[in-house]
Amino acid sequence: MDPQLTEVSQQLERFKAAFVRKDYSTCSDLLSRLKVLLTKFTSLPPLFENTPNAAQELTLARDIYEHAVVLSVKTEDQDAFERDFFQLKPYYVDARNRLPPSPQENLILGLNLLRLLVQNRIAEFHTELELLSSATLDNPCIKHAVELEQSFMEGAYNRVLSARQTAPDATYVYFMDLLAKTIRDEIAGCSEKAYDYVSISDAKQMLLFSSDQELLTYVNEEHPEWEVKEGFVVFQKAKETAPCKEIPSLQLINQTLSYARELERIV
Amino acid sequence: MAAVMVSSAGGLLAMLNEPQPSLKHHALSHLNNLVDRFWPEISTSVPIIESLYEDEEFDLHQRQLAALLVSKVFYYLGELNDSLSYALGAGPQFDVSEDTDYVHTLLAKAIDEYASLRSKAVESNDMVDIDPRLEAIVERMLEKCITDGKYQQAMGIAIECRRLDKLEEAITKSDNVQGTLAYCINVSHSFVNRREYRHEVLTLLVKVYQQLPSLDYLSICQCLMFLDEPQAVASILEKLLRSESKDDALLALQIAFDLVENEHQAFLLSVRDRLPAPKTRPVETVRAVEITDAPNENPSGDVQMADGAPAPAPAPTPTIVHETDPVDATYAERLTKIKGILSGETSIQLTLQFLYSHNKSDLLILKTIKQSVEMRNSVCHSATIYANAIMHAGTTVDTFLRENLDWLSRATNWAKFSATAGLGVIHRGHLQQGRSLMAPYLPQGGAGGGGSPYSEGGALYALGLIHANHGEGIKQFLRDSLRSTNVEVIQHGACLGLGLSALGTADEEIYDDVKSVLYTDSAVAGEAAGISMGLLLVGTQTEKASEMLAYAHETQHEKIIRGLALGIALTVYGREEGADTLIEQMTRDQDPIIRYGGMYALALAYSGTANNKAIRQLLHFAVSDVSDDVRRTAVLALGFVLYSDPEQTPRIVSLLSESYNPHVRYGAALAVGISCAGTGLSEAISLLEPLTSDVVDFVRQGALIAMAMVMVQISEASDSRVGTFRRQLEKIILDKHEDTMSKMGAILASGILDAGGRNVTIRLLSKTKHDKVTAVIGLAVFSQFWYWYPLIYFISLAFSPTAFIGLNYDLKVPKFEFMSHAKPSLFEYPKPTTVPTANTAAKLPTAVLSTSVKAKARAKKDAEQKANAEKASGAEKSVNESGSGKGKDSAEKEGDSMQIDSTVPVEKKAAEPEPAFEILVNPARVVPAQEKYIKLLEDSRYVPVKLAPSGFVLLKDLREHEPEVLSLTDAPTSTASAATGAAAAATQGTTASAMAVDDEPQPPQAFEYAT
Repeated sequence: MDPQLTEVSQQLERFKAAFVRKDYSTCSDLLSRLKVLLTKFTSLPPLFENTPNAAQELTLARDIYEHAVVLSVKTEDQDAFERDFFQLKPYYVDARNRLPPSPQENLILGLNLLRLLVQNRIAEFHTELELLSSATLDNPCIKHAVELEQSFMEGAYNRVLSARQTAPDATYVYFMDLLAKTIRDEIAGCSEKAYDYVSISDAKQMLLFSSDQELLTYVNEEHPEWEVKEGFVVFQKAKETAPCKEIPSLQLINQTLSYARELERIV
Repeated sequence: MAAVMVSSAGGLLAMLNEPQPSLKHHALSHLNNLVDRFWPEISTSVPIIESLYEDEEFDLHQRQLAALLVSKVFYYLGELNDSLSYALGAGPQFDVSEDTDYVHTLLAKAIDEYASLRSKAVESNDMVDIDPRLEAIVERMLEKCITDGKYQQAMGIAIECRRLDKLEEAITKSDNVQGTLAYCINVSHSFVNRREYRHEVLTLLVKVYQQLPSLDYLSICQCLMFLDEPQAVASILEKLLRSESKDDALLALQIAFDLVENEHQAFLLSVRDRLPAPKTRPVETVRAVEITDAPNENPSGDVQMADGAPAPAPAPTPTIVHETDPVDATYAERLTKIKGILSGETSIQLTLQFLYSHNKSDLLILKTIKQSVEMRNSVCHSATIYANAIMHAGTTVDTFLRENLDWLSRATNWAKFSATAGLGVIHRGHLQQGRSLMAPYLPQGGAGGGGSPYSEGGALYALGLIHANHGEGIKQFLRDSLRSTNVEVIQHGACLGLGLSALGTADEEIYDDVKSVLYTDSAVAGEAAGISMGLLLVGTQTEKASEMLAYAHETQHEKIIRGLALGIALTVYGREEGADTLIEQMTRDQDPIIRYGGMYALALAYSGTANNKAIRQLLHFAVSDVSDDVRRTAVLALGFVLYSDPEQTPRIVSLLSESYNPHVRYGAALAVGISCAGTGLSEAISLLEPLTSDVVDFVRQGALIAMAMVMVQISEASDSRVGTFRRQLEKIILDKHEDTMSKMGAILASGILDAGGRNVTIRLLSKTKHDKVTAVIGLAVFSQFWYWYPLIYFISLAFSPTAFIGLNYDLKVPKFEFMSHAKPSLFEYPKPTTVPTANTAAKLPTAVLSTSVKAKARAKKDAEQKANAEKASGAEKSVNESGSGKGKDSAEKEGDSMQIDSTVPVEKKAAEPEPAFEILVNPARVVPAQEKYIKLLEDSRYVPVKLAPSGFVLLKDLREHEPEVLSLTDAPTSTASAATGAAAAATQGTTASAMAVDDEPQPPQAFEYAT
């Protein structure tokens, strides 16, 4: 067996062990070393050379990146998640006909969808969705994300929040928490536009807080421009109405006159 | 198995965000390969890659890789400037030799950028920092071109980028240095727009030429002339003249002829004056050196001493050789010759002989015109006189005038002025006899002359035309005449005459004389004075221009302002950017006449350069100025700017020729006429054709004249529209209801069409692609005829004979045959008209008729014995058919036709296939289009020094000891001049003697038979 391949698989084993131990800092170290090692393999994307160990190397690399994605969820690092997911993606898309499908695939795709939902990147969410086959769409992991998005769009925020309990995998919980916050931001944004002020109790209900205290902390942290006084939350609506556009009459007159003059001069 | 391609660069882009540098590097290098497919995806991540490039902590290689990647993305995005700046950052990663669109585009961009930076640096004279990396790339490119043997590209880039060092390297390293140099000269003339820079290039070229083992003196001298270095030319000539070999002397003579062709009078004179006279002492020292240094040269010197010892004493240049010095004998003799050539006398004399002996002008055309124009219509009357003068320009044939003295006497006042001046055009170049020819008309000693001031003024103008650009001998006389008169008509003539004869000499004394005339503030004289000052100062760009401009603002007379405006324009001839301040000043003036002068200044300063800036400016004025005069001139001026590239003009002015403004249309017509003169360019003719039937009379006039200029010397066989045009002219002239203006145009046009006895064309560029100063100036002043008809004569300055004149060592014309490898009919003279004028039918049938007349005569003679009333020519065939039964008859018939063939061999058209070539005898008419068909006969006795299809060519005699047969002698001119010398009497007898020399079948007689 190729010594490099051996080295990589050994490292991966150590990574997995550390992962099980929840020793995440060791995991990241190992992971970055693994990634560097992977660059030596020419059979990996984007080259896809037909080396004798191509299949093994590909599987190994995919495994590493899948772990990397899961690790990033554990460490709650969204950037790393995105990075690793994109590096993983060619293994799912371009290497589909060279490798047996990974059992983790749907889980990770679902996670990615969820991430996009959390980051409110709806357009990308739908792009990703379009790329999936109809069979995949029936998978519980994917289906979960799709349903969440539908509820989200309908404004059935309570359904979104209750979906936390039906999450198909433990890794989803992290995103579900984030999703709650996304929803709250969404509601806050709407209220701001809709009302000049609301009472604290109404605001609490609307923003799905259980106590006034929570509401106040939220207001302080996220919307310092809101005022809380006399039992009301006063939204500082953008006061200035967009000025109606002035017609540049002088400029137009000048232009027209100069056209007329030029016409006179035309050959 | 084909490798599976990735479907997205997303993975690699994500890798760029990884903390490890090695991962980033991995991603970068892969992205570089994928960028061609995935640039849209990568473009969103450009900021990240840019930051990688700017990251100081990265290793250099990686940063360069990032730069290359960004550069490629920008290239695909069409942001070439950004792309280039990153490519420069990529350093060695950017591979010049890579064969991709990306590299090609960026290289082109880099070279453009570099070239513009370099020229900016030179033009603004301050240091513009040029990115050393940019320079490095261009240099890498240049070296690659040179090592790959693509010298022309390398030279082009080097010239564009003003890298003369690289240019020199490219030339010297090329495998065909002579060819490359020639190419380079060509390029520097057509593509280097800035005058100073062109000078630099040419200086370099001369340097390279001089380093060559085999010197190409012809080219060097051409360059030196352009650089205006008479001393260098003089020393080359001297060296060649002093050489032992006769071939070198021939070469020197040839160089002199080539220089003369460019008509740069001031330069030629200074070369002539710098040629050292063979004085005794300096030569003795030289000889002493020769004796000590090179003893083996001595014997030959001695031989020459023996040969030449008796000769120098009566040498033709007594002013030069006083003491007899044997070595100098040959030199002195050669020097005389070359001085003769440089002064222009030799070539003028030979041209005169050629034009006289080959004159093929058709008097019948003039007769037709004369009969059809109304007597009272003075415009058409004088137009006919102009046409006659132009038709016979330089031929010294004034038969028409002498035959029609009565008719001529109807010209009064200014018409008389121009009629007299017309003699100057006819006798143009008749340097020796000019003065005596004009004598009867000239002002007689002092103020109390008896003649009309108009003919006196005209005569002075005529003297100027005769001596145009070669006025050494006549200047003094003209000055005296100018000073001794205060009649403004005479002053007018004298000013024009002085301007012409002292063209471009910037003679201070003459200038002062003319200026004092100007300050008399008389309209007529002042106008001529203004033009004359311009002529004097052609191309000198002196301070005097502002003096003239100041006076133009001061005076009230429009005529003077116009004269001065044109004069100022003439002073900046050929100065290009140097004239910009003056042009700016003139074109912004309140006075439309000065702006009008500004247009001419633009035209002349940038004449023949096809400079984009000038064209843009002119087009702007052509559509935006409020004055019609200025607009007309602006369009017309385009013709001057573009004459070096005649194909361009019709395209550029085609829109303007459809303008609603008749002035603009007129300008467009003349612009085409000027720039395409003598080319017979098909597009030009197509553009002018509709204009010749324009609704406005003066547009028709302009179009007819322009058409004639374009078609001069084009035969009907090469473009059938020439025939159509001739018929159109005839129709307009004969049409009673035609407007005077267009009628005048048609008359002038028929003059121009047959200019100079059908042996000249209008040419603004010499064969070496230099501008011909006189010709350009001539046309510029000619185009003033809109305001002042006598200026029409200036067109004669633009005529250049289309001849091959071969000369031997003695500057005589030996008998020498060569071949024109084309059908004779393509380039032959138009057939003389022979039909009675009432018949407006075409000229084609006339040719047949003339055959038939002669055939008839012959047939009758034969038929007398047979008593057989046969009909000639046209009936011949039918007779042949009907008489097939009578063998005897038909046999007789055959013999008859044979005889006809032998009597009129020239006109047996279509009888048998035309030969594919013809043999021409020196000196011969070779029209410009014919030049490419000229071939030398192989076993010829003479070999030309320079391979040139036309012009003056010196011939090397391979059989020196055989007696030479001279084909052109001085005799005709001397008899003619004798005859015309006694011109005042103006008898019919002189006409006969002049005509007798001509062996052309005399058309007028045939005409008499017919009636």
